[in-house]
Amino acid sequence: MISQETLIYAVMGLLGIISLVAVYMAITEKDLVKAVLYSAIQSTAYAFLFYLLMAPDIVLVYVPVAVGLYPAVILFLIKKSERFEGEST
Amino acid sequence: MKGWMRAVSLLSIIAVTVALALGTASGGLGYVLPFPGVRDLAYWFLFTALNPSTPLFTVMSPEAVTSIVWDYRGLDTLFETTVFFLAIIGSMALMRGIEVVKKVEERTYQIGMSPIVKTVTRISVAAILAVAASIALHGHLTPGGGFQGGAAAAVAPLLLIVVFSVYFAVGSHINKKNMLTIRTIGLLGVGLTAFAVLIIGVIHGVGAYVFQNQPKATAPIGLPADLFGSLTSGTLILFNFFEFLAVAAGFTIVFLLLSVPERRVMEILEGGEKDEH
Amino acid sequence: MSIDVNVFLFSLMIYTIIMNIGISLYAIFQRPNIIKKIIALTILGDSANVLAIIVGYRAWPSPNRAPIPPVLTNLHPTGEDIQMFTQVAVDPLPQALVLTAVVIGLAVTVFLVFLALQLYRLYGTLDVRKITKLRG
Repeated sequence: MISQETLIYAVMGLLGIISLVAVYMAITEKDLVKAVLYSAIQSTAYAFLFYLLMAPDIVLVYVPVAVGLYPAVILFLIKKSERFEGEST
Repeated sequence: MKGWMRAVSLLSIIAVTVALALGTASGGLGYVLPFPGVRDLAYWFLFTALNPSTPLFTVMSPEAVTSIVWDYRGLDTLFETTVFFLAIIGSMALMRGIEVVKKVEERTYQIGMSPIVKTVTRISVAAILAVAASIALHGHLTPGGGFQGGAAAAVAPLLLIVVFSVYFAVGSHINKKNMLTIRTIGLLGVGLTAFAVLIIGVIHGVGAYVFQNQPKATAPIGLPADLFGSLTSGTLILFNFFEFLAVAAGFTIVFLLLSVPERRVMEILEGGEKDEH
Repeated sequence: MSIDVNVFLFSLMIYTIIMNIGISLYAIFQRPNIIKKIIALTILGDSANVLAIIVGYRAWPSPNRAPIPPVLTNLHPTGEDIQMFTQVAVDPLPQALVLTAVVIGLAVTVFLVFLALQLYRLYGTLDVRKITKLRG
């Protein structure tokens, strides 16, 4: 059977690929509310990665800040201005 | 047309990444696996964090990261708190004069969201505040600390502003002036705790340093490491409590400034112009 | 050529984080909307923090025994408890520095959001190319 070490490294690699997909979808999206949601998915993948790298202090900072406060502040800003990005180059 | 172009470029980025990793794994770059030992500086921090046999270097706290943040490198945290304070003050100066006035409203139970959401929010706000206080006050024993507890406790006023309306929040004394008072108490507490051992040393006629926690070789005075048998690690518990107050109040000010309705903002900005002419 | 599976998976994670830094840096230059630039700036800061914590990781002592976070679980440790702790725990210094970096990133982002709001109230648009054409 595979050892525990290979299993943990495989989960780390999978989380890296999930965060790469989420960052690419966030950058090439015209609707800004969906871009903020993809960025929150990437932050959740990073929080799980911090846990696997044995840093529990950073998980406790990162989950309220990047999944709770950044989307809240940016959604307030989107509500007060435009929701769709204009025509890009 | 745009859909499959995005998918093709995403797959090509993933293919490049996997190819680079394969190239490194079959002997491209020396060694990439993590090293089997820690560096000398890390060995020193891990060895002296809770060690009664070296009483002149220890911090008496089993949590190595909090002892680095508030004791070994306390000045870094002092300047980080200053940067955060300057960001909040800058935002308040940009939005000077823009505030929500409490309306006299008889039917306040009809503004905000539906009763189901309001009932669930009442229960969750109490739970969030309890968990955040526990994270902040146990920062010297388990992972946690002042900033973690403050960021988690800032979610509760955000929920109150969004679910019940901002007029209800201002009416129940969560306004800018009270939050600024709490934030000032927190920052004054952090500053006084940094000078506490120095003041106690001057009173007893013994030399001491700023940001000192336990007795050192040339300054044999410090705060007690445990209180009635349970470990409190000197200044760490006071730092965590005051930082929790300061951070939670700071975020509440940011949300109060951001949630003023745009119609009211335009009224204030145009009303000021008309007064001048 | 033999491929070590552990090295492949670990370096795969490191390369995806470096790709994240590259994509978000491209987005800060190329996209003209200010809110998209702010989102890309937060992604860039977070990816740099993950790289800093990877530097502090250590290899497994044996294939079925993981390293532990730098927290002692015994409140009255003996001398050999502490020796065992230093053989198995990860490095605590990068975690303390990343804590400071997260707070400073958050302060800068909050201030940038207020500046963007004031820009929208004054110029009526959030597109950088149109703002440079207006010029006061």
